[in-house]
Amino acid sequence: MKKKELRRADFITSILLLLFSLWIIVETLKMPMKDTFGGVQNVWYVSPALFPLIISIFIMILGAVLFLHSIKTGGAKYFLDNFSLRYKGLSEKNIRFIGILLALLTFVYLDIPRIDFFISVTLFLTYFISVFYFDDKDLLKKLTLFYFIGSIIFIILFVFDISKIINSYYGYFIDILALFFYLSYVIYSWRKVRNNQIYKKRLVLSLLVAIITPLILCPTFRYFLLVPLPKEGLIIQFMHNIYYFLK
Amino acid sequence: MFIFEQLYIFFQQIFILIANPINVLILFGSVLLGIIFGAMPGLTATLGVGLLTTLTYGMDTSTSMVALLAIYVGAIYGGSYASILINIPGTAAAAATALDGYPLACQGKAGKALGLTTTASAIGTFIGMLFVITIAPLISAFALNFTSFEFFLLAFFGIIISGTLTSQDLVYKGWIAGFLGLFLSCVGRDQLQFYPRFTFGLTELDGGINVVPVLIGAFGIPQIIQMLRDKITSGEAKRFQRILPEFTEILHHFKDIIRSALIGVGIGAIPGIGEDIAGWVSYGAAKNSSKHPERFGKGELSAVISTETANNSCIGGAMIPLLSLGVPGSPPAAMLLGALLLHGIQPGPMLIYDHPLFIPQVGAILLLASFAMWITGMLLAKQVIKVLRIPPPVFMPVIAVLCVIGSYSLGLQIFNLYLMVPIGILAYFLTEMEFPIAPLVIGVILGPMADASLRRALMVSKGSFLPFITRPVSLILILVILLMVVSQIPWFKILTKRILNRMFSRKIDKNIS
Repeated sequence: MKKKELRRADFITSILLLLFSLWIIVETLKMPMKDTFGGVQNVWYVSPALFPLIISIFIMILGAVLFLHSIKTGGAKYFLDNFSLRYKGLSEKNIRFIGILLALLTFVYLDIPRIDFFISVTLFLTYFISVFYFDDKDLLKKLTLFYFIGSIIFIILFVFDISKIINSYYGYFIDILALFFYLSYVIYSWRKVRNNQIYKKRLVLSLLVAIITPLILCPTFRYFLLVPLPKEGLIIQFMHNIYYFLK
Repeated sequence: MFIFEQLYIFFQQIFILIANPINVLILFGSVLLGIIFGAMPGLTATLGVGLLTTLTYGMDTSTSMVALLAIYVGAIYGGSYASILINIPGTAAAAATALDGYPLACQGKAGKALGLTTTASAIGTFIGMLFVITIAPLISAFALNFTSFEFFLLAFFGIIISGTLTSQDLVYKGWIAGFLGLFLSCVGRDQLQFYPRFTFGLTELDGGINVVPVLIGAFGIPQIIQMLRDKITSGEAKRFQRILPEFTEILHHFKDIIRSALIGVGIGAIPGIGEDIAGWVSYGAAKNSSKHPERFGKGELSAVISTETANNSCIGGAMIPLLSLGVPGSPPAAMLLGALLLHGIQPGPMLIYDHPLFIPQVGAILLLASFAMWITGMLLAKQVIKVLRIPPPVFMPVIAVLCVIGSYSLGLQIFNLYLMVPIGILAYFLTEMEFPIAPLVIGVILGPMADASLRRALMVSKGSFLPFITRPVSLILILVILLMVVSQIPWFKILTKRILNRMFSRKIDKNIS
């Protein structure tokens, strides 16, 4: 980050820090200071509020120092001069950042708790590797949009409990739907890169890594380290069947 | 007598460890894994130790320590590969190595440089190990006199010094990061009264924030985001024929090695200061003491030797406060602390009584790891550098999956992941705004100790703060903390500068007269 931008960021951070420290103080003041808690008569120096209160005071002081420094060095002025609510478009770096966040957030908050772990990892890796390995802004935009729309459909299914209703008919329905989404992503990206030999190779490599990684990780964690996977659905159950059949 | 007893136990531990072939296998495997982790730009020693912690959960303590220390040693050394061959430091610890390592590679001396760094790193680790087995028990014995007053100030001191020395922009940004870490440590039920603090009614937060997922998030996710967002790629690696140990060259630079090893141990022993700073300080010291400082930056062998000796000896240094005081000396040592707690070992002054063999065992593992590192480096360097060809967009997402499964497998809680991601994103933004992450992590780790110690201390003194200044060690700690804080104030800087100028000008005047 350039110095000017850094000072502008300092200005915003310092305000956030001051608000944050205020919030901590408000929260700590709700904690027992001299009242009884769990039958114990409190004194101020044993209170659970003491330590967070000290921390909040330090954060507030340091936040204020940062605030003053950002004003002195022109950070506040730079922020106010360049403040605009008008949409200026996204730079490639920011699109990449959105792509990374989309991959991480959907993987952790959407897929892992609800979709078979093997499928979750494959889906995540296929998107995450291919979209950055192509190193093409246009493809990055299109594939991210495709993945985003797919994720929105899943969010709707989960938020309105439609997934539960569907799964009550067939236990692995959501896993099959996720597999379908994975296949459609692969087909969509294949169609986008079919005229470019280098991109085609990159897509194949992405798909290979996306399959091989869970193929190694899932049995290692499940059978060697005895770690039950977050969600054991269609594929993991199939893996169990093979494992116990061979055993 | 005490030192001889320690040495006896130390050699005994070496034999016990190498008598088990599984340990030897894990030792070499982890060192190799560490070298790969260190060599790949974007993957750090801290992340390597963190990810391996999750795999060693089911192992016994000594085997898991073999794995974790071996990967730590291997990763710090492995950073030099990318520094020398592609001019991109594999780890921050090897950043100073790139300054002269890459020019050496350009001169066709990559094999020679790697040979020297391999031997220097092994010697550095060995010297660090010597300090662990001799100094750590003595500090532990001394720290037995510490009471809650000292432990509170020690935690505070750790955050302030780590914030001061790791901050690249404004010093107080490091302190802010440290206090944010302390705040995170407050989340959950407090240790004395079990009152829920900042839990938002979530039962998952009652036990507090798990340290290992926080560490993996704070060190792993920012790396992933940075590498992919900024399109950081590894360049074409320089070719080399074979690696030679270059013992005569090493003997020629013996003075540099000893000086750098001592710098490394000293810096490692300061809480929260990592191998990167050891490397830079050692580089500066080597340049200042060199007869040919103008050669630095153009491929000077002593520069490469100094930085690599210092960053590896820093490992031993970082283990000293970790084992004797329970305060991690570097970010990977913070990960190790998390691993030790998972295995039911509480580092600190009581360690020499609760687990009397543990410190010599750590020393023995460090010695074996330095041997394993040397052998692996000499034999497999050519194969290892092939990993540099893997493009970051391919391996970074795989690392993300490892971070996720690693965090989940500790405690089998998906909630760990829900915490890991936002902490990782927060750490990324903090890094972008030049807030150091090490103090934040140190804060999370030392927070519970600071909180409980402060309240216990005040309970003993019935609310009086007077013992903080009447007890000698706590008074020293307070003075050091105050000095560090005051030294950042402009008028104090001007005042000290004037005093120093006057002192030196008098000396110069005297010399002239």
